[in-house]
Amino acid sequence: MLFHTWPFLVFMLVVLPVFFALRTTQLWIPWLMVASYFFYGWWNPYYLLLVVYSTALDYFLVALMDHCPIEGGNVDVRARLTKFHFGDSVLKAAFIVSALTTVLLIGVAVAGPQTLRPLMGLLGLIFLLMALGSLLSSRKIWLLISLVNNLALLLFFKYARFVVENLNAAFGAAHLALKLPDPSTLMPFGATYVLPVGISFFTFQSLSYTIDFYFGKVHRERNFLRFATFVCFFPQLMAGPIERAKHMLPQFYQFPPVRLQNFTDGCSLFLVGLFKKLALANYLSFYVERVYDNPKAHGAPALMLATFAFAWQIFFDFSGYTDMARGIARIMGFKLILNFNNPYLATGLGDFWSRWHISLSTWFRDYVYIPLGGNRQGVLKMYRNLFITFLISGIWHGAAWTFAIWGILHAFGVMATRELERSAFYRDRVPKLAKQLGVFVFVCFTWIFFRAESLPDALLIVQRILGAGWNDPQVPILMLSLVLLVWIYQFFYESKLRLLLQTSSIRIGLAAAMFVYLCICSSGAGTFIYFQF
Amino acid sequence: MSDEKTAQVPEIPFVNEMRLNTKQWLITSAVLLVILVGTPFAWKHTERFKTDADYRIPYSLSKDYWLYHRRLQQIDDHSRVLVLGDSVVWGEYVLPDGTLSHFLNAEAGQTDRFVNAGVNGLFPLALDGLVNYYGGPLRHRRILVNCNLLWMSNPKADLQTEKEEKFNHSHLVPQFSPRIPCYRADANERLSAVAERNFSFLAWVNHLQSAYFNDKSIPIWTLQDDGNDPPHYTNSYRNPLTEIKMAVPEAPANDPQRGPASPRHRSWTENGGNPAQFEWVTLASSLQWQGFQHLIATLNSRSDDVLVLLGPFNEHMIAKESRPGYQALREGITSWLTANKVQFVAPPPLPTELYADASHPLTAGYHLLAKQLSTNAVIASWIALK
Repeated sequence: MLFHTWPFLVFMLVVLPVFFALRTTQLWIPWLMVASYFFYGWWNPYYLLLVVYSTALDYFLVALMDHCPIEGGNVDVRARLTKFHFGDSVLKAAFIVSALTTVLLIGVAVAGPQTLRPLMGLLGLIFLLMALGSLLSSRKIWLLISLVNNLALLLFFKYARFVVENLNAAFGAAHLALKLPDPSTLMPFGATYVLPVGISFFTFQSLSYTIDFYFGKVHRERNFLRFATFVCFFPQLMAGPIERAKHMLPQFYQFPPVRLQNFTDGCSLFLVGLFKKLALANYLSFYVERVYDNPKAHGAPALMLATFAFAWQIFFDFSGYTDMARGIARIMGFKLILNFNNPYLATGLGDFWSRWHISLSTWFRDYVYIPLGGNRQGVLKMYRNLFITFLISGIWHGAAWTFAIWGILHAFGVMATRELERSAFYRDRVPKLAKQLGVFVFVCFTWIFFRAESLPDALLIVQRILGAGWNDPQVPILMLSLVLLVWIYQFFYESKLRLLLQTSSIRIGLAAAMFVYLCICSSGAGTFIYFQF
Repeated sequence: MSDEKTAQVPEIPFVNEMRLNTKQWLITSAVLLVILVGTPFAWKHTERFKTDADYRIPYSLSKDYWLYHRRLQQIDDHSRVLVLGDSVVWGEYVLPDGTLSHFLNAEAGQTDRFVNAGVNGLFPLALDGLVNYYGGPLRHRRILVNCNLLWMSNPKADLQTEKEEKFNHSHLVPQFSPRIPCYRADANERLSAVAERNFSFLAWVNHLQSAYFNDKSIPIWTLQDDGNDPPHYTNSYRNPLTEIKMAVPEAPANDPQRGPASPRHRSWTENGGNPAQFEWVTLASSLQWQGFQHLIATLNSRSDDVLVLLGPFNEHMIAKESRPGYQALREGITSWLTANKVQFVAPPPLPTELYADASHPLTAGYHLLAKQLSTNAVIASWIALK
């Protein structure tokens, strides 16, 4: 279900009144959970099982982790195995259940129906690890299971086909008589193999909870419904922002304060998001598609303009989604974190990454870059860590070499300009507009790899931008004017003219104009780019 | 970590100045209300809409239901007879002066007694929707409704097949109940159809697109190509506002697709047609018949004086084996109309050479049909009633 469609309006007309009506009871959390599951199930009810499974596993893993000593300790494994002397009844029960389930699952994996074997094998491995975790009372093993499980889901649904195709190509090139089967053959009961919407978001959100608990940064959440609501909260389930337990879970402890300001703020956010998506992103997408689907047929101006258009398209699309998500949550009284902060006004690449997809950037910072050592082990290792983080960030976006190259380009960009951006010369002497344009142009260059259908296409586009002759780009003036207006608005926002934007007449005029434009000129109900990630 | 459960969630900043407070939202809502209600109203009084005695909604504006509503509002003389129906009434193969309403006027010795209120492609279910949602002015009127049996001539025409079909006027058919098996639009499309019916501003937007932007939204129009290879995007540098001429487009003066001079304007036999088999649906199962029944009920509930014109179907085209089904259908309809005290007239079939296809007469066919109707006792008394 998409925020900018009529079914979502109907959905909200049902969810909101019931939510507020339940404010004095304890039922508002289950209601939110049910609504969120319905919201996700609208897309594909079968893949709802995946969300439930991921949620339940992480919930139980943290519960079991909570029964293990933080510092670890000597565990008499022999006594546990021979006398079932665990000293903790929960761990004992977990061991027995896990061990028995492992045997059962491995049995099915070996002798069961063909279509179930791969799934049962994987589950058998997870339960084996759980038995081991119970036996050794090891927090690390519980964490490992959470990592393995969430990443395995991601790997299987998002990257398996890419890996298999590349491996098969490599085997072929090496004249090896090996051919790995397509991952779709591993689906149980012959179910369709498609990328579950939002899998990269809800797995990261759930995973951050187990990691944070492991490091003692958050409490264990005992209420399963509350935890499930945290993982699947519908405004941010499909495409973020990726929330942290520390920020989001406390908001589910008591009914949020009912304030008129929440409603007006939420509507403001939603209107802006809707405008970004329907009026801008969708419109730009048509031009981008026209050019990028057939780069050979277009000259340098069209390819450049389409690249700039894509830069704005992806910004309007994703930040529009986030604005709507934040708006919907705010109407209910919840506060989601900021995900975009006018990134095309960034004056450096580091600045850009503190403004673009903030929830993901900080996720990678906290769970990849810092654990790798961050900047604490010298410059070379810091560059290595930056490179790895950006590479993973690129691959996170999709299973294609173009995404990996996009990440690598950003890594090189950040590494190359890190010192420059810290210099007094750059800070004080280079005009702000020049810095902003420089960053924008570089980011646009990297978007070529992000958007192109394939690596050869991306290289062709770069080649043609540099070498192809002039021809009429035939870009609609209306489109350019709209983007220009938004850009001017952003410049005003970060200048002294901001006061002008704060006047009531401008706000009212813009809100009314956006609404009327949406009614007259919206460009269809296309889906969001980030749903595919 | 100890106070995590009671921790205050920090305020999340806005990164633009579009943060309206209650008062500003109230003013915005008021402004929007004025725009949304006022624009279609003001437009109606500003945009030129030239109609004459034989006026029919141009083919290119067939889906401009807002304009249809406006057209009905224009006809304020309640003694006039509105002829409702699909392309048979509209005149698929003929020019505006070759339609049924034109010849009925001629037979009546008047120029504008009968009004062509037909719309191309408007099957009974859609006609029912059109009258329900955009036919508000049809109250206390005299209405001649055409019942074209072609729409019941097979399960596909009756929209009964399970296989998805794309058909005209899908926004007019029931979106949720009764279920139309071949209509597979998603929930968003169905709800947007419902919204368009209920908010005149959205219907007006549709009018804007139909009348000035080739049935496209303005952004899509700016990206439209000319169909050549390589394509040329002729609207890229055009200002959409200058396209709005403030005059409803008229049908082309010389429509090459219609009229006696058109190559299409030929008898079905000249086109090499042969009698064909028809898989008539039964009245009990027919969705189109349900739509027609509902249409009659709606018109009756609005105190309209209704006369049903059954036919003129090209019976010469029906193969021998299919005739019993046709007869059964026709008898079922006449029985229902009689039982429900709905006046009707079922003229005999026209000569075979006066049909262009299974249901559309040629110009001379309409002429003859009008003559038959004008001498029909039922219709004569119905016209003379008021």
